[in-house]
This record gives sequence, structure tokens and C-alpha cells, in this order.
Amino acid sequence: MRSPLSFRRLVVALAVSPLVLTACGGGGGGSAPAPSVTGAGADDRQVKGGGTLTVALNADPDALDPSLSTTLVGREVFVNMCEKLYDIDATSALVPQLAAELPEVSEDGKTVTIKLRTGLKFNDGTTLDAAAVKKSLDRHRTWEKSSRQADLAAVEEVTVVDPETVSLALSRPFTPLTAQLADRAGMIMSPKALDSEGDNFGAGPVCVGPFKFAGRTSGSEIRLERAPDYYDAAKVKLDKLTYKIIVDPNVRAANLKSGDVQVADQLATTTVAGVQADPNLGVVSGGGLGFYGFTINVGNAKGATEKPGKVDTALAGDPRLREAFELSLDRDVINKTVYNGLYEPDCFPLPLKSPYRSPDLKCPPHDPAKAKQLVTESGVKTPIPVTLLSPNDATNQRLAQVIQQMVKDAGFAVTVQTAEFVTTLEQGREGKFDAFLNGWSGRVDPDGNVTNLITSGGTNNFGGMSDPGIDDPIKEAAATGDVNERRDLYAKAVQRAAEIRSVIYLYHNKYYLGMNKNVAGVKYYEDGLPRFTTAGLAQ
Amino acid sequence: MLWFVLRRGGAALIVLFLASVLIFLGIRALPGDPALVMAGEDATPQAVAAIRHAYGLDKPLPTQYVDYVGQVLSGNLGRSTQDQLPVGQILVERLPVTLELSALALLVAIMIGVLSGIVAAVRRGRLADYVATGFGLIGLSVPHFWLGLLGILLFSVTLHWLPASGFIPFTQDPAGNLQRMVLPALVLGTGFAAVLMRQTRSAMLGALSADYVRTARSKGLSETKVVGAHALRNSLTTVITVLGLQLGALISGAVVVEQIFVLPGFGKLTIDAVLTRNYPVIQAVVLVTVTGYVLVNLLVDIAYALLNPRVRLSGGSRG
Repeated sequence: MRSPLSFRRLVVALAVSPLVLTACGGGGGGSAPAPSVTGAGADDRQVKGGGTLTVALNADPDALDPSLSTTLVGREVFVNMCEKLYDIDATSALVPQLAAELPEVSEDGKTVTIKLRTGLKFNDGTTLDAAAVKKSLDRHRTWEKSSRQADLAAVEEVTVVDPETVSLALSRPFTPLTAQLADRAGMIMSPKALDSEGDNFGAGPVCVGPFKFAGRTSGSEIRLERAPDYYDAAKVKLDKLTYKIIVDPNVRAANLKSGDVQVADQLATTTVAGVQADPNLGVVSGGGLGFYGFTINVGNAKGATEKPGKVDTALAGDPRLREAFELSLDRDVINKTVYNGLYEPDCFPLPLKSPYRSPDLKCPPHDPAKAKQLVTESGVKTPIPVTLLSPNDATNQRLAQVIQQMVKDAGFAVTVQTAEFVTTLEQGREGKFDAFLNGWSGRVDPDGNVTNLITSGGTNNFGGMSDPGIDDPIKEAAATGDVNERRDLYAKAVQRAAEIRSVIYLYHNKYYLGMNKNVAGVKYYEDGLPRFTTAGLAQ
Repeated sequence: MLWFVLRRGGAALIVLFLASVLIFLGIRALPGDPALVMAGEDATPQAVAAIRHAYGLDKPLPTQYVDYVGQVLSGNLGRSTQDQLPVGQILVERLPVTLELSALALLVAIMIGVLSGIVAAVRRGRLADYVATGFGLIGLSVPHFWLGLLGILLFSVTLHWLPASGFIPFTQDPAGNLQRMVLPALVLGTGFAAVLMRQTRSAMLGALSADYVRTARSKGLSETKVVGAHALRNSLTTVITVLGLQLGALISGAVVVEQIFVLPGFGKLTIDAVLTRNYPVIQAVVLVTVTGYVLVNLLVDIAYALLNPRVRLSGGSRG
């Protein structure tokens, strides 16, 4: 027989469930206070040795092969399993990781020499040396299936100078190379595993890292375990690290609350407040390198990488209309209504804290009156039809609807066209849109946020914008190492792009990492990749 | 009989062939280039073309189809383009999860649905009937994803009785497996139970007012015997027919439930594969599903023929 106590408990639980559901869902209307950024060293609690940490990822990583990987979640797994020649620190400064020091660049900028750390072993016991580095870099840049070819396009040849040194011959001076080598293009794979696994390296990856690959259940979980061969093995406290793929944001937050996972990656902005309200949980923020907005097709008639052509839409034909469209938008209101005020509104692609961002860059204020005036001046008959292409997830659709309402008064009749992300990407590349909601995950070096996105023929220049006032300074900036000079050049380029308005940036997205308060030692930087080398359960 | 089996077997092979052609062409007709997905956000057109070439996606469709069939016939289903794992291995891991979930949900549905249907019919117009009918209405109206989320919040977040997600194979840890499957099975089974309840109630009401039941009662049989041995037995035909018809819905419902409870099942695999245009996995999933369907139908046909010679004869006639 059921005891009165347990029955009462059940009734109470049933009664509070809708409240918990609301808390988990966040409600959407309220603006939660943005959690403070936690950098490295902010959490200096001692951790216990041993244990398993389960981390919820918001998507299934693609192949765990550094040459092939294209997803942010893939990078989240790699950061704890596959170290790189360089890394970033808490201030986003580049630091050596497998390399002994920052690279030495010749006077003409075309030879880069990399000294390696000695005595390092891959997680299968093979020694890391210059030959292994060459093998990986050559695979990244020449393998036909490799997604790293563009990252290392400036590298013409990799030479083994001695067992501890490699030299890279470049076709042109290319300053962003170090930043590229601080991402997947700089990950070094075990030559023994490459020989045995070949094209299927991703099914059993072996690198240098605090954890080694232990198994994967497709679409469900990825298991890592402590690597005994790691050079800093004493720092690694956890026995196992398990990544669980939980796509639904509410379910991800619920799993964190129930204790089934101890860390939840990329909390949806609608669930941050609910997680923060739980006394056992905390939220830290990272990211901010990427951006989100929409592209207006001004010249993509035959494909993003083809020569720009004439696009027959009102927005493409008159820059005043594009300006009116932008002035109708209130970025702060968008941030509050769609993202609970948790992102950083902006109108440029450069991260707000980047040393390469000029303080002179200012956004135009929301000005609906001027927007109306510009539409009238253009002489175009209203309502002006605009088709806005949007990925079909709930957040993007909400954003599209907010934009649709905001620009209505100025005279734009926006029709939202939704499709799966893959389809929108293809339509974006082919120029089959008037305006297209899309974003970029961001790179440490500013070159990664502009070159392929706004220069002529760039692979992600969906709008087909082509202007020497943008192309030339970006090219010059990539060839110089002087920070001040680069900052000025990028300012010139992005200001020109802001005048043309083929891309209307809306905000920089932050990543919110939910954690159980008994988890300590996690490092979470601007790249949004949680590092668990020193993590564990707090003592 | 042999001629009958050969004919049905031949027909099954034709269905398999047509299904493989349809799915092969169908997924290629979808917008969204898989090479673009694999190449990543900043790939050059050359890199995309190289990937298309490396995976044979630039070959003419008939050549691609022949390559694919040759591969399947040699027992190789290829590798997933998403994570490079062998497709065969993925299917072996995934299929038992969905089968177990569906079987448990079916059990839940029968237990709740048939029992409450009987009670509702026997107690027609009384409180028990209203409660059961109300349950049926709620069960039919509440979407799986909402019920699943509410179940997690109640049983995992608030009461901490059950894990919120995950899967452990039954062979590895039976208790752990059931602990993780009970909530998904309940969620998936509830909607199905509602359908069964309504059908059982209506069939039982018909049976209870039939002449043979009146006769049974007038002979002085106990109410339990009247309901159990006479009315229920005759109502079960309808219930079993509905059960068969709803099996498809059960499998499709599993897609949503697997997503909510993070179960590595077949449904979740299918959705993920379609969203990432993972051709080898989609083709294999459909092929396995169609083969299962065709095999079951073939076995049923043969069983019918064995049990009822008239089927065999009509199947063999050339009129």
C-alpha cells in the first residue's frame, strides 16, 4: 500500500512539474542577467583524482579526423584528445602546445620554422617528431577529402629540418597561419595509426592529448579515457570523459538538473535562466568570436565563388533600400526578444574584444524614421517584396519573424522561406535568395572572420559582394604581422563592407556552459571549447 | 506449394529491387549536397568537387547504383559519411534498441489499453468509464515530446527515481537497462494504449450486448466468465487488427521518444542521416526496413498457404 507521505510527495511533484518545465524552458520573455565570463584560473578549487565526467553536446560531431572535421562539437572533443602545434590561452593569445615556441618567420614572411617539444608521445606510444608533423600537415593540405586545404592553402611545402624542427615554405606571407595551426590544421595524428587506419582514421583517432579515444556509439556518445602516455599525465584527474549527444535544449538542461550529465554544452538562451536558478548548478560563458546576421544578395548570380552578376531584386538594386532595411532593425530588441539578452549586439564581424578591432567602429543607431525616408527617396513602390531564407529551427524562425515585423513599417514585405540547414547552405552558395539568415562560428585570427566571407570570390561570400576597398586591405592585413597596422586595415575593410551592406551583422553569439557546482578545473575560453585536462570533482 | 513459395519469393525480390531504386533516387532528389556537408563551411568549390569525386558522387546515377548494389551484395554496406563508422556495425548497435523500446511500449499499451477498455465497457456510464475515456482522450492528444519532457522533469529532475537519458544493453546490465527504458516505454506506450482502450471498449460494448452474451448470462455463468471467456475473446479480433495497424505508428513514435531520451535507436539514426544527407546510412536503413517488411509478409503469406490450402490454390492459379 502506498504511504500517505509518498502520495503527498507525488502530488507535490506533479504540481511543481509545470513550474520546473517553465524554468527549464526559460519562458522567453524575461531578460536574464548575463552570466559572468569565467576564464582560466578563475576556478582554482582542488579536484579529486578519478571518476567519470559526462558532458552533453548539442549535436553529433562529424568524423573525429582532424583533416575532415567541420563541426564545432567535433572541435570540443578534439580539444581534449588531439593537441595542436599551437593553442590559445585565456586571453585568446596564441601559445605553443606541441611546438616548443611560437614560430619563427623569415624576413620575407615566406618561410616559417617550427621547433617541436621533445619527448612527447602519441597515445599509442609512438614518438612525436618532425616526420610525424610533416605527415599530418601533408595529409591536411593535400588529401583530396581534406577540409583543411583552404586553411593551409598558403603552404607550398613542409620540410623536415631535423627530428625536432619542421620548416614550412609559403607561397605568400601569411600571418594567420599560426592561428590556423592552433586549430584542426595544426593537429598532429599518430603516423602509426594513419598507416593502419588510412582514410578511416576518424573511426579510431590517435593523437597526443590528455585523453585517448575509447569508443563511439554513433549518434549517441563518445567515450574518452585518461591517456597514460600524455606528457602532462599527472595533471589529468578524470579517469573517463563521456560525451553524450543531446540535441534538444530543454532535454539537455533537464539532464543537467537531474545529474545524468555534469556539464552541458551550449545551453540555449531560453534555458540559461532555469539552470542558473538551480542551487546545484552554475553557468559560465565563453565564445563571442563568431557572429550571426543575414546576407543580402547583391551580386551572386551564378554562385558565391563565380564572378558577380546582376541580381534582379529591389534590395540588390538600390543601396538606400539596404540601408533602410538595416536602420529598421533594433539589434537590442532582437537580442532581448529572441535571445533573452544573452548575446552581444554588433554590426561588424570582428569580435568585440579582439585586439584587431578598431575602437572607431560604431554601429548606426536604430532609426525607423530615416528608414522610411530612404524608402520614399528610392522611389520604389511599396510594399517591397523580400524573401528571407532561414534555417527551419525554432530560434531562426523566431528571429526571421522579428525581422519581418521590424521592417514592415518602413515598407518591406518580408516572406520567410524556411528549409533545413543543409539546403539553405546550398541555396546560399548558389545565390538563390534575396536575404539569407546565416552566421559564422568565428576564428581567433580576424582573417578567418572576413576573407572567405566578404572578399571577392570568397567561398562563403554568399551575397556576391566584390569591392577592392574590401579585398585589398584584407589581403594586405594577412601579409603583415604588425597588430596596429592590421587593426587599421581591417577597420577600413569592414567599414567599406558596412557601406555596401551585403551582410547585415546582428550579434556575436556567446556560448553558455552549464555545470554542476561540484565540477572544478574546467577551462572555458573565447573559442567556446571546454577543456577538461585539469577538471574533476571538487574536493 | 513450391511454386507458390517461388512466386512469392520472386515478388519479394522485385519489391526489394524497386524499393532500392526508389530510395536511391529519392535521397538524391533531395536538395542539399552531401559533399557540401562533408567539406565544411569554408571549403572551396574545388574541395567540394574533390569530395564528390572521392565518394563517387560525380558518376552518372546508373553507375552509382550499380556500384552500390555490388557493394551491398558483397555484404558491405559502406561507412557512414558522418562519423566513418561501418554502417553494418551501426545498424547492429541501433536496431535492438528500437526493437526493445517498441516491444516494451507495446506491452505497456496492451496492459493499460486492453484492461482499461474492458473496465470502461463493463462499467459503462460510471466513474471508471469516465476516467478511462478521459485517459484515452488525454493519451491521444498529448504529444510524445511534451509527455517525455514532463516525465523527465517529474521522475528524473524532481523525484530522482529514474535516469533522464541514456541506454545500457540488457545483456550488460538488465536492471540498468529496464531503469532507462521504463520511462520511454511508458511515454511511447501511452498514446498507443489510448487507441487500444477506445477500440477495446467499443468492441466489448458490442460483444456485451450480443445475443450469445445474453444467453451465457441466462445460463447462470458468472460475470467474470461472461466477460473473460465470451465477450473479451470475441472482441480480441478487433483489438489484434488495430494492434497490427498501429505498429507502424509505434515505430514512427519511437523516432521522437528516442530523441527525447537520447536512446541510440533506429529512428534517431534515420532522422540524423537524412538531415546530414548521409547516403550510405539512409540507404542501409531503408533497405533493412524494407527487407524486414517483405520478409515478414512473405512468411505470413507462406503461413496462410500452409494453414489454408485455398490461398495456395488461388495463388497458383493463372486466371
